Amino acid sequence: MTTGSRGLEAGERSPAKSRAEGPESQAADGTTAPTPAVAVDDLHKRFGTGPDAVTAVDGVSFEVDPGSVVGLLGPNGAGKTTLIKSILGMVVPDRGAVRIKGIDAREAPRAAYAHVDAMLEGARNDYWRLTVRENLRYFATISGVDPASVADRHERLLDRLDIADKADEPVRNLSRGMKSKVSLASVLAGGAEVVFLDEPTLGLDVESARTFQAEIRRLAAETGLTVILSSHDMGVVETVCDRVIVVSAGEIVADDTVDGLLRQGDAHTVELTSPAFDRGLLATLRDRVEVTAVDRLDRGARIQVTTDTEGLYALMATLRDHDVSLSRVRTVERDLSDVLVDLTTAEGA
Amino acid sequence: MAAGGRRDDAAAATYVHLARAVLYREYLVFVRYPANAVGGIVVALFFFGVLFYGGRMEGLLVGYFLWTLSVGAYSAISNDIGSEVQWGTLERHVTSPFGFAPVVLLKGVAKLVRTFLTSGVVLAVMLVVSGTTLQLDVLTVVVVAGLGVTSVLGVGLAAGGVAVLYKRIGNWLNLLQFGFVLLISAPAFDLGWTRLLPLAHGSALLQRAMVDGVRLWEFGAVDLALLVVVAGAYLGGGYVVFRSATRRARRRGVLGDY
Repeated sequence: MTTGSRGLEAGERSPAKSRAEGPESQAADGTTAPTPAVAVDDLHKRFGTGPDAVTAVDGVSFEVDPGSVVGLLGPNGAGKTTLIKSILGMVVPDRGAVRIKGIDAREAPRAAYAHVDAMLEGARNDYWRLTVRENLRYFATISGVDPASVADRHERLLDRLDIADKADEPVRNLSRGMKSKVSLASVLAGGAEVVFLDEPTLGLDVESARTFQAEIRRLAAETGLTVILSSHDMGVVETVCDRVIVVSAGEIVADDTVDGLLRQGDAHTVELTSPAFDRGLLATLRDRVEVTAVDRLDRGARIQVTTDTEGLYALMATLRDHDVSLSRVRTVERDLSDVLVDLTTAEGA
Repeated sequence: MAAGGRRDDAAAATYVHLARAVLYREYLVFVRYPANAVGGIVVALFFFGVLFYGGRMEGLLVGYFLWTLSVGAYSAISNDIGSEVQWGTLERHVTSPFGFAPVVLLKGVAKLVRTFLTSGVVLAVMLVVSGTTLQLDVLTVVVVAGLGVTSVLGVGLAAGGVAVLYKRIGNWLNLLQFGFVLLISAPAFDLGWTRLLPLAHGSALLQRAMVDGVRLWEFGAVDLALLVVVAGAYLGGGYVVFRSATRRARRRGVLGDY
């Protein structure tokens, strides 16, 4: 029995080769575009019936380009896990379509999932009583690949992840960081071109998490691996992802690059320090802009103000009118967590 | 002696309290799971029945050998699914391009092979300890016992599917394995229709093979055909139930949630 046309080069294809050999689709302007690694179209999933029914996924559509790393973010209960499981075929959606490398997952699940593997919910994901190499061979096999045919590539994968010297050690004897690398290696062992990583750095120390992130980036850049990553660790997402999809209440509320999300909206936060900030002046400022924090100092105060561009001009004009001398001005950059909270609470409100 | 109390207004519990609490919990578990308790008594009585009515030590040893094989085949799949969930590896089998059901079936067969080896060791020890002699034509024993427990593997596959859907129902599923004692001793009751049940016909043929020395090719064609048909029917039925249950679990979004 054979199981479809899974790529054999475990995490080792060149992006150029992937694009050159992969199926292409005709764009509206006549140019050809690479077929998306994952395409989700109008996916719906509702659990239960009647008043207790919960809509976990509500009309979600997106495409993921080959070789990109996409973060799937959202608060607990937003529908991320159901969305991932629906894409993986572990949950049957009520409506909508999933295509993996252009193959309809409902019509030809075996061919579609031959390209995919997953590491879900930060689980151990492999057999701790087996050695590293035995895990790779086993998971390559159930992924539809003859392990003997990819033995050399497994060696290179172990080298790449810097665990070659532990290849014959039972996984249970390895450190937490090493185990996470083994999980990643076993996910890539069958030559998956698309991998889903759910909380991949959960429980890792800072150094192991950084190494893991670097490996993900390197694999995507050097081999064209497509990664869809879900994490509550915004540092991981900012470091690793090309693009972020934010899900709230089963819907996509934002889909942009990390930079795009951070620049989203016309809101600026500045921290101003001046000996001239007294009660009267602060009351005047509060009338014009949102003063989010006030720290009283021996002389004057340090305040934090969040406003749009027009508000910033008005603030500066007010300060000039009152002849205020600023001893310090600092721009407070919003991080991804702030953006995520804004996006998801705004939706929930 | 008392354990340290955490609050001034709470009296410290002693080992007497502890003993009383654990005994009471045991009592509650016993009465809340009466089927388990009754099942244990029933299986003990069945063993007594086999010992009392079976008469011959040879028959008892063959029956016990087949029972250990059956328990292994039956529990292989549902236990394995539970373990895979615990290890976080179930999802990877679900997304296998081979398909979940075929992978699970083959894993069940692999467990069955392992059970054959361990049961073989147990049989050897029993023969040595009891000083009993059996006819051990390997081909006959493997084929007849293998086909006999294939029907149980089918029942186990169905039970695995039910476990995927309804999760922790191990206590109820485990009760079924006590019924294997009845099925193995069914030939003793000389009821023709029981041959259509899992194990029963295989048990009768295995007794003839291992006790009376009948070789595989010496059985009648009808006997062998019935053995194959019963094995195939239960395995096929179990496979269908498993696929149907996992499909339902996917629709309900409970696959892998334990």
